[in-house]
Amino acid sequence: MNYIALVKQVPDTKHIPRDAWDWDTGTLRRALLDNVCNDLDQQAMAFALELRREIPGQIVALTMGPPFAEEVLRHALSLGVDHGVLLTDRRLGGADTPATAYPLAQAIRKIEREIFKGDHEYLIVTGMQSVDGDTAQVPPQVAEELGIAQVAYVTDHNIGGDGMLTVQRVTRKGTEKVAIERFPCLVTLTQWTLPPYPEFHQTRRAYSREIHQWDAEAVKTDPSRIGLAGSRTNVVKIFPAKEATQRRCLMVTEVKELVRQLKATYGSREEKRPEHDKSRPYKVPLGKKTDYRGDLWIYAEHGDGKLHPASFELLGKARELAVPLGEKVGAVLVGGDVVPLATELIAHGADKVFVVEHPSLKDFIASVHSLAVTQLVDARSPQIFLFSATPLGRELAPRVAYAVGSGLTADSTDLQLGDLKRGKLERVGILMQTRPALGGNIMATIVSQHSRVQMSTARPGVLQAFPPDPARTGEVIHFHPKLPSPDPGVRILSVETVPETSGLGGADIVVAGGIGCRTKENFDRQVGSLADGLGRFFNTEAMVGASRQAVEAGFIDRGRQIGQTGQTIAPKLYVALGISGAVQHVTGVREAGIVVAINKNPDAPIFRDCDFGMAGNVETVVPELVDWLNQKEAGGNG
Amino acid sequence: MSAPEPIDVLFVGAGPASLAGAIRLKQLLGKAGRKESVVVIEKAGKVGQHNLSGAILEPAVLDDLLPGWRDQRDRFVSRSLANQVERDELYYLPNKSLGIRIPHAAVPGALRHQGDMVVSISELAHWLAGLAKELGVEVYPGFAAREVLFEGDWVKGVRLVDRGRNREGRPQKNFTPGETIQAGVTVLGEGSMGLLTERVVRRFDLDRGKNAAMFSLGIKEVIRLPAKNAFGSNRVVHATGYPNLGTFGGGSLYSMGENLVAVALVLGLDWHHADMNPHQELQVFKSHKLVRNWLEGGEVVEYGAKTLPEGGYHAVPELVANGALIIGDAAGLTNVRKLKGLHYAIKSGMLAAEAIFSALENGRCDRERLALYHQLLRESFVMKELAEARNYRQVFALAGPRLGAPLSFLQQWLPRLWSRPDYQTLKPKRLGESYDKGVDRLSDVAHSGTHHREEAPSHIRLVNPDLCQECKAQFGLYPCEAFCPGDVYSEVGSTLMLNPSNCLHCQTCRGKCPYQNVSWEVPEGGDGPMYRAM
Repeated sequence: MNYIALVKQVPDTKHIPRDAWDWDTGTLRRALLDNVCNDLDQQAMAFALELRREIPGQIVALTMGPPFAEEVLRHALSLGVDHGVLLTDRRLGGADTPATAYPLAQAIRKIEREIFKGDHEYLIVTGMQSVDGDTAQVPPQVAEELGIAQVAYVTDHNIGGDGMLTVQRVTRKGTEKVAIERFPCLVTLTQWTLPPYPEFHQTRRAYSREIHQWDAEAVKTDPSRIGLAGSRTNVVKIFPAKEATQRRCLMVTEVKELVRQLKATYGSREEKRPEHDKSRPYKVPLGKKTDYRGDLWIYAEHGDGKLHPASFELLGKARELAVPLGEKVGAVLVGGDVVPLATELIAHGADKVFVVEHPSLKDFIASVHSLAVTQLVDARSPQIFLFSATPLGRELAPRVAYAVGSGLTADSTDLQLGDLKRGKLERVGILMQTRPALGGNIMATIVSQHSRVQMSTARPGVLQAFPPDPARTGEVIHFHPKLPSPDPGVRILSVETVPETSGLGGADIVVAGGIGCRTKENFDRQVGSLADGLGRFFNTEAMVGASRQAVEAGFIDRGRQIGQTGQTIAPKLYVALGISGAVQHVTGVREAGIVVAINKNPDAPIFRDCDFGMAGNVETVVPELVDWLNQKEAGGNG
Repeated sequence: MSAPEPIDVLFVGAGPASLAGAIRLKQLLGKAGRKESVVVIEKAGKVGQHNLSGAILEPAVLDDLLPGWRDQRDRFVSRSLANQVERDELYYLPNKSLGIRIPHAAVPGALRHQGDMVVSISELAHWLAGLAKELGVEVYPGFAAREVLFEGDWVKGVRLVDRGRNREGRPQKNFTPGETIQAGVTVLGEGSMGLLTERVVRRFDLDRGKNAAMFSLGIKEVIRLPAKNAFGSNRVVHATGYPNLGTFGGGSLYSMGENLVAVALVLGLDWHHADMNPHQELQVFKSHKLVRNWLEGGEVVEYGAKTLPEGGYHAVPELVANGALIIGDAAGLTNVRKLKGLHYAIKSGMLAAEAIFSALENGRCDRERLALYHQLLRESFVMKELAEARNYRQVFALAGPRLGAPLSFLQQWLPRLWSRPDYQTLKPKRLGESYDKGVDRLSDVAHSGTHHREEAPSHIRLVNPDLCQECKAQFGLYPCEAFCPGDVYSEVGSTLMLNPSNCLHCQTCRGKCPYQNVSWEVPEGGDGPMYRAM
């Protein structure tokens, strides 16, 4: 079996030099960032290299980019890859995801013809997403163009006694084992192993090897489908990711006062966030017609007979947008036996529910689902189609978008209607889709162009669902897709449900300890008891974190490290105990709601970066604080 | 797959010395129609990221290496040409608000810099690497050398650092053992305090009868000033006197163009005070009325530290062995009187290249044939100037900064002065001043971009932790906690804790630890600071 690794050169967003920030505009000067190989693509190469030890074959690394992207192929060769193919052409520049996926697929066809000599028995491996684009759209769209299956979020592989290749993948609720029965097949990797190191002598050889350089003609691309002209989305605005949220520390001296303040402010910062909602609702300008017509659709995701809450959030947004446009909201419900869920969708805001049922749709196989949904879109032509940016949505939406010839904005955090005037071109009532980019360092507003439908996936938890209204009425429409080939080429062998473990990232409250806790015993006692106390008080999940120094001192394992080299978190409440608050740490909690610091040194830098501060010894303040929280709780939260 | 072709000449460390040497060697080989392979390895992830210097360059040496370089269309070239020194000032700072400008006529010739260029050595190295690659030099950053391969009385190459061990030192899944790199000639251009260099020197007793090596520590911030600023461009300022630390040293400000200014403090590592905190002293220097005024509204964008070899003429060891040469800072070629070493580094690399070329032509790279390097170095301006300044630093070491300054004018007529290693000079006395304004040390560490894989074994070890307690008992504190520019050492409870991932690779700890209790090893390739404009 042979292998093709899709790799991408990306800016190094892990090491952003201070000077790369443009202070006037709050954006990043990308030119000042180093270029590196996308992390997950390294994981993909490690996957191919490891698998190759068991199923021998050639590995080809393929990238598309400017001539200097050759460097990423040298890196691939230095890891032990056999061939490097650089798809480079000015005409390919400025491409969005379909205009990238298409020439890549063409290059894959050429690799199959010329390097693999027509052998179909190969696996395409790539990272789930790139750190710069972060859309996770190119791989499924490559698969859609090639008409092959994709297995996403793969974390491991296994070769059975019969030589059958099975891969393990992460799903929303656990893991699945998937057998790959037909090749070629595309597999996207998520974090699964330690990144491989290039060996010196192999690196030397890598630099003496020839790299295949192909241009747009060499891979026989249709000029109308590549580059800027072939792109179906357009970035219309870039702006800083962070509002200037300068924290002003209020120093409190009494525990009682701190509890009062926490109670008064907990969760308040969050409510402020969707500020657009307060702005004037959109109105179609008088005498103008909107560019797009038709329903506003959402894809209703479900599992175990229950709808995903994110689908209600999409419905909330779709309702809001439908009003000024004077259009209806539709929900697309796909599966084996899903009719009973329709009522709930109507209660949450759907005017129409399209029920797409078929025996082949029982398990989620992206290529099959995509075919069914595409037929529905073709039949009904909505103007907007929203998906949740869940694992399923991120796999399905790109394929549907590609198949129906539409742009797709991934992971939107804000969706608004607006008009756009660029020279003579005037666009009315179009969807302005805003999302974080470059590793969350900047925000971009994107609009669809040359698209039949305006499509976007939206980050779960950001949009607001409406409270359900059981009295609402709506229409249930049955749609019967034609699914000719029941054999998708991949088969789900087993599903394992893993109880949900939320990491630090999911907790509402994080209490972290630093070196000021002095000993492991102290750390466990103080940090643990305060997390418990706050968790009970606010009736939510509170978790324990740590500064790097505390981890270094062995107080707790590295999985709990917060900061530049640890995790970046955004809880509603963050409490730093005995943490001095060096910038390396504070970076990790910039997005937190309220930051509280308790430190014996009143000059500690943490007091410049928190909302409430208490100068005092952790060992004396925390027990007192926990006592107060317990009392308050016992006293009916009063 | 074909076996890699053997390496004829291996340069260790992609600084200006090695890169200039590799360029010159390829030029000579090319002219002679020879095809020997020339390879440069570098521990930084990208060439230039571990290079730090003032840096004022006397550009004649570049004209020598790369005729016509001034006509290149390149960012480094245009920046360097735009940053020629026009204003060159020397100040004596008697206290925190007063500054006395030394009239130009009274400034010794060696301290004049007009016509020189202010460059970033990170950018210089990056640029040279590009030119070297065009000539066919192989440059591989991300590969750190750990050991010298000795074979009898020959140096046969190096062994690389293992990668992919866990904290406890056990191999992880991606473990990649350090490969051996065999080479016909190994050129050590590791920079100041090079570990491999020290091993070669010790093995072949190359420093017999030489002065002990002495070092200074340079701490530097690159500051972005507002477009309207009091410092201006094309200007270099040197100042001494404040902060008054009872040791050799001084501060400097160099304009780097684009509203950037490099602010640095250099301190002799032979300081006496146990609580000396050089990073803090740089902040104190910045608080001097004169300096503060120049830096008004500025913001630190980069930070770094390195040691400078300042033993001078009498501390330069023998620089050749069978199959090996030592160049640049690793060889101790810094002129402390001129405050310069960059052009020596470049020149020494070039001269080493000439010696290697001649030895290759003669078919054997043994000590005798490579010794041509010594001869060329002696005949060049490098050793001549070093000889003129031979006692300069020692005068300061013996007489202190107040007496040293006037005596330094006489130093060349003094007999050879001996020096003590820096770690022997610490006394249990305190400067006793704490200053908490300016940038705090950890924030500056963040500005260096330094990082080390958190799961990697610590590259810094305390050989015998009990000695640290003895040290604390003797000095009343852990001197390393105060002096480390990277905030690697901190007292926790009653022990000394290490934060190796903050390390700036300056190795001040190794030079200054009074108990010589620090073992510093080269970490995995790619780890360490990420300088861009240093």
